[in-house]
This record gives sequence, C-alpha cells and structure tokens, in this order.
Amino acid sequence: MSLEAAVGLHKGTLDLDVELAVASSGVVVLLGPNAAGKTTLLRALAGLVPLERGRVALDGVVLEDTAAGVRVPTEQRPIGVVFQDYLLFPHMTVLENVAFGVRSRGAGRAAARTRAHELLEHVGLAACASAKPRALSGGQAQRAALARALATDPRLLLLDEPLSAMDAGARAELRRGLSRHLSAFRGTCLVITHDPIEAMTLGDKLVVLEAGRVVQAGTPEELSSHPRSRYVADLLGLNLYRGRMEQGTVVLADGHRLVAADPLPPGGEVFAVVPPRAVALHRSLPDGSPRNVWQGVVEDLDVVGNHVRAHVTGGLPIIAEVTPGAVASMRLDDGGPVFVAVKAMEIEVYEA
Amino acid sequence: MKSRRSKATEGGPSRDTGARKSKGGTAGGLAVAAGDAIAPPSRQDPAPWWSPARDRDQGSRRGGERAPLGFVPLAAVAVAFLTLPLIALLLRAPWASLPGDLTAPGVLTALRLSLICSVGALSLSLLFGVPLAWLLARVPFRGRNVVRALVLLPMVLPPVVGGVALLLAFGRNGIIGQWLDGLFGVTLPFTTLGAMLAETFVAMPFLVITVEAGMRAMDRRYEDAAATLGAGRWRIFRRVTLPLIAPAVAAGSALSWARALGEFGATITFAGNMPGKTQTMPLAVYLALQNDAGAAITLSLVMLAISLAVLVGLRGHWFPRR
Repeated sequence: MSLEAAVGLHKGTLDLDVELAVASSGVVVLLGPNAAGKTTLLRALAGLVPLERGRVALDGVVLEDTAAGVRVPTEQRPIGVVFQDYLLFPHMTVLENVAFGVRSRGAGRAAARTRAHELLEHVGLAACASAKPRALSGGQAQRAALARALATDPRLLLLDEPLSAMDAGARAELRRGLSRHLSAFRGTCLVITHDPIEAMTLGDKLVVLEAGRVVQAGTPEELSSHPRSRYVADLLGLNLYRGRMEQGTVVLADGHRLVAADPLPPGGEVFAVVPPRAVALHRSLPDGSPRNVWQGVVEDLDVVGNHVRAHVTGGLPIIAEVTPGAVASMRLDDGGPVFVAVKAMEIEVYEA
Repeated sequence: MKSRRSKATEGGPSRDTGARKSKGGTAGGLAVAAGDAIAPPSRQDPAPWWSPARDRDQGSRRGGERAPLGFVPLAAVAVAFLTLPLIALLLRAPWASLPGDLTAPGVLTALRLSLICSVGALSLSLLFGVPLAWLLARVPFRGRNVVRALVLLPMVLPPVVGGVALLLAFGRNGIIGQWLDGLFGVTLPFTTLGAMLAETFVAMPFLVITVEAGMRAMDRRYEDAAATLGAGRWRIFRRVTLPLIAPAVAAGSALSWARALGEFGATITFAGNMPGKTQTMPLAVYLALQNDAGAAITLSLVMLAISLAVLVGLRGHWFPRR
C-alpha cells in the first residue's frame, strides 16, 4: 500500500508544486507554517480540489492524472479524512455518524451499525453511541471523527491537525491514543500538524512545506540533526545559520563568522546548526577556549520546564539555554550586555 | 522541546508559537519579557455637568439610546395604524354567531378549496423551487443573476398583473395554453388547477429565496466530509444538505403557504370567482362583503388566525442565520 503523488495547482495566492511518495503502512507528517499549502494538498489528495497538473496514485491505482484526463471523484476514492473541526454531522448521533460511510458504500443498516459499534469500542466511545456530537467533549469528538474515517477501511488516511483543538492537558493522552491507532492502521497515513512533539512521535517521515514547496523531507532524526530551513529550526528550538564555507570558517551573509571544528571544504553554501544548550553566556569578555565569542544583549527569556531560553540579539542573534539559577545570579533580565561563547566543537556544518 | 510559557494563554494551542517564530529574521522576537504587567487603559475624566457630552455618556451607560426628536410619536402612529384595523376586526366580529357562521356551506367550501389550492401550490413550489434554489446557490452559471431576478419578479409584481400574464401564457389562446388545449384538451383558466397555478406563481419565489439563503448559509464542508465517506450527490443531498437546511425550508414553506393562501388578484384574474371551483377564501370574502358582511368578517377572522399562527410558528426566523 503506497501513495505516489505529484500535485500542481494554484489557489488564491498559493502556488502548490509538491511531489510526495509514501511507503506502504507509512505515516507521513506534513509540517509547515500557516498558508504553506498543507490543507490544500490534503484536499487535493482527497479529490476535493482538482489538480491543474499532476498525478495521484494509491496502491498502483491512478486516482487522478491530468495528462491522461483521469479523475476519480472523491466519493469513489478509498480514503478516510479527519478534518480540522472534525465535522461530525450535527443532526445525527455518533453511531449514525460512524455508520454513515459504511452505509454510503453499500452496506445494509444492520451491518453498518454493527461495524460502527465495533469502531466505537475500538476508540473507547461505546458509551457515547447515541449521543449527539454537540454533547461530546473535544477529545471525544476527535475520537469519533477518527472512528468515522476508519469505519470504511480506507487505504489512505488523511488527518488535518487532529490535535490542534485540544488543550494541552488532553493532548498528550490523545496523542498517545492516536499514535497507537496509526501504528495499527494498515494503510498509508498523512498527518498535518504544527506541533513538533506530534511531528516527532507520530511520523516515520516528515515533509516540510513552505509557500507551496517541499523544503525538506526526512526522518525525525535527520530533521532534528540537520534542519534545512528557519521554520524547522524554530520548531525544534535550534539555532540555524546559512553561509559560505571559507577555510574552516562559515561566513554568514551579514559578515559574521563562525569557526567550526569539523568544517567542510571551502567554497560551498552550508548550514551551521548550534544547539542552544551549547551556548554559554558571560557578563565579561571570556578568555578561554571557545573560538566563537561576541557581545550581545538578552532580548527575551522563555521558560521551558526548568530550562530558560535566552534570546540574544546584537551581533549574531542566538538562543542560549541556561538554568534559572544562572538567570538569577547573572541578572540576565536586566537588559545589560552579555558575551556569548560557543565552542567550535558544538557547531555542526553541512551542505546547504 | 519548544513551548512558551506564554503571557496570556496558558496551555493554548502551539500554533501561536509556530506562527510567531516562523516569521524568520532574528531569534530575538519581541522585547516584552515574561511577566510584564500590561497597564489597563486609563479612565476618562467624566464630562462636567453642563456639557452635552454628559447626556450622551449617561444615555449609553444606561444601555438605551435616545431617539431623535419626534421619532417616538411617529412610531406610535405607525403602530396604531397597523394594529387598529386588526383590533377593529376583532371588536366587530359576530362572536355570538361565529360557530354557525363558520360551518355555513359557502364558508366551508371556500375553506376546503383554499386548503387544497394552497397545499397544492406549496407542493409544486417545493418540487420545482428547491432544485432551483440549489442551482442558484451552488452553480455559477452564466446569467445566474438575471435568472434570479426573473424568478423573484412575481414577489413584487402586482398580483392582478400576474393573473393577466398567466392568461396570456396559459389561457385558451395563450402561448402554451393553445397547445394544451389543442393537443390535450386541457384548459387551465377558471379551473381549480388554474387557481392552484396562480397561487404557485406568487408563492414559489418566497420559497426559492429562503431556501437559497439557507443553502448559502450552511457549512459546505459537511458535504465535503460526506463525499470523503463515499456518499454520492443524491445521498449527500438527502442525508446531509436537506437536514442542515431544514429550518430554511420550513420557513420558506410557511411563508409561501401563507402567501398562496392569501392570494387574490392573480387567482380572480386567471381562475375567476366560481364557488366550489375557484372561489378561494380571499375571493369569498370579497364577494361576501357585498351581501353578507357577517360571513366576510368570519372568513377574515379565519385568515387572521392562520396568519397569526404562521407568524408565531416562524417566531422571527424569516431568514436562516448560520
């Protein structure tokens, strides 16, 4: 079971041009900033938006091919979709909602209800079968929408930000549940998300979309060690710089230089990534081994668990991760000058 | 992993973080540090007692607005004008003889005929009007606005003009009427069916406009969801669209039925005023007024009661809101 898609279309100001291949039983996570085209791509795969040029094939069956003039309408595609607002039919009970797809594809009423009960058991909503969607909590609605999409045994499951409407408390629990369901699902899965934790835990493969183009695709490990765009770096909380390699130093566009311990051959465009925990802050000019030292000002402080991320500007902007104790004893929030020190050892350089 | 302890929204969706940071540029972000207090807007000094502004302030603080000079008496006249005739009807009604009057044969005939014709008109309006409303709402075909204007024309056209036009189309020598007569021997003018058609002519636009509004207001993504679940066009309409626009269809039906019931000008022009065949209640009232005012008032009371029932049933839901 696999998905091969080449999608080209325009929608408003969006110019979408994406090629995607998902292996059998794979879960692909689609990431990207707002208006990157993620939902449009999902709708195009579902057949809700026609392609201007391209081809979509699922398990070898062509669903759409603009060159050959083939277009399978949405209702005949073996897909299941969980929409961002779930879109449970408000005038039907949860059971009828889940049974809807089964009935539409030809099953009798009794068979459809049996199947619906099965699915509701599977997602833990057996008790809500005769409730109306408006009586459900956010988490219950999400599970109901998932049950409804799975009821027809689709070969391609599309989820548009399935957890974004949840508050943080419910999210972790639901994410684990979703992860279990997705692993058990035998078909191909495409999940759209904004959340880095969801991306890292749900996906085998991550595809990053920006302004209608794929800017990076790879495993979670590849992305977190070698991010290739500002969006990914920000998502993962890494410092990312882009420049030219020159004799052991990365020269950035604004003239700043970073000395790297394992540089690449000179002449090429490179990325340099610095994890925040490798960045040290000093109140006076440090006199030590770090090769990269400059002066800046602490602009902003973020608390993440019991770490503090200090956003330093002036000179080369960078995020440093320090302890709350350091913030307190160095009085980092007073806006005074600080010195940033980064060891060349901590800078990883790779081709752009 | 990256998550802000944000200033305002504890535990809010992480899309805030994504959006904020994806702007690119420096990693510094805004200069507001965590924990900064945001000062409340300063209270304005109250206006001095002699200033006109004080009146305005007081009025808005009390929650009501002060009407421009003269509006209240003018509005009172409007209310009186609109309700006085109805009050007069109620006051002059022959309440004592009402039961007898209501069951007089002429009255019952007119009532029965009105019901048959108006329900028939409603059915025809639903059968042909709902598909039209669907197309007007969903399919951007060429000339859509022109079609919509033409379809709504009977709403504003003087009914008697409608009746004349119907005669010219469906009368014995009408454009279509001559074919109907020649090929099928069917005549429409001065028949019950003709009365029904005259009522349909004036009532259908109300249904079309209400249902079209309902279709435009509904969330079409439900239909997308149904399509992804394998539902074809008919199933989507039957099980998703129709239930979602049911309030609009109900409101449109109530309006068009009431309109059909009360139609006079087109009916009397196209179908004539024949008791038992085409003399619907409004026509009966008109006729009765010349001979037997009591019967006229009785019939009028029946129609008033029906109108009130429709109003109460609609309860202000003239057009569906999302």
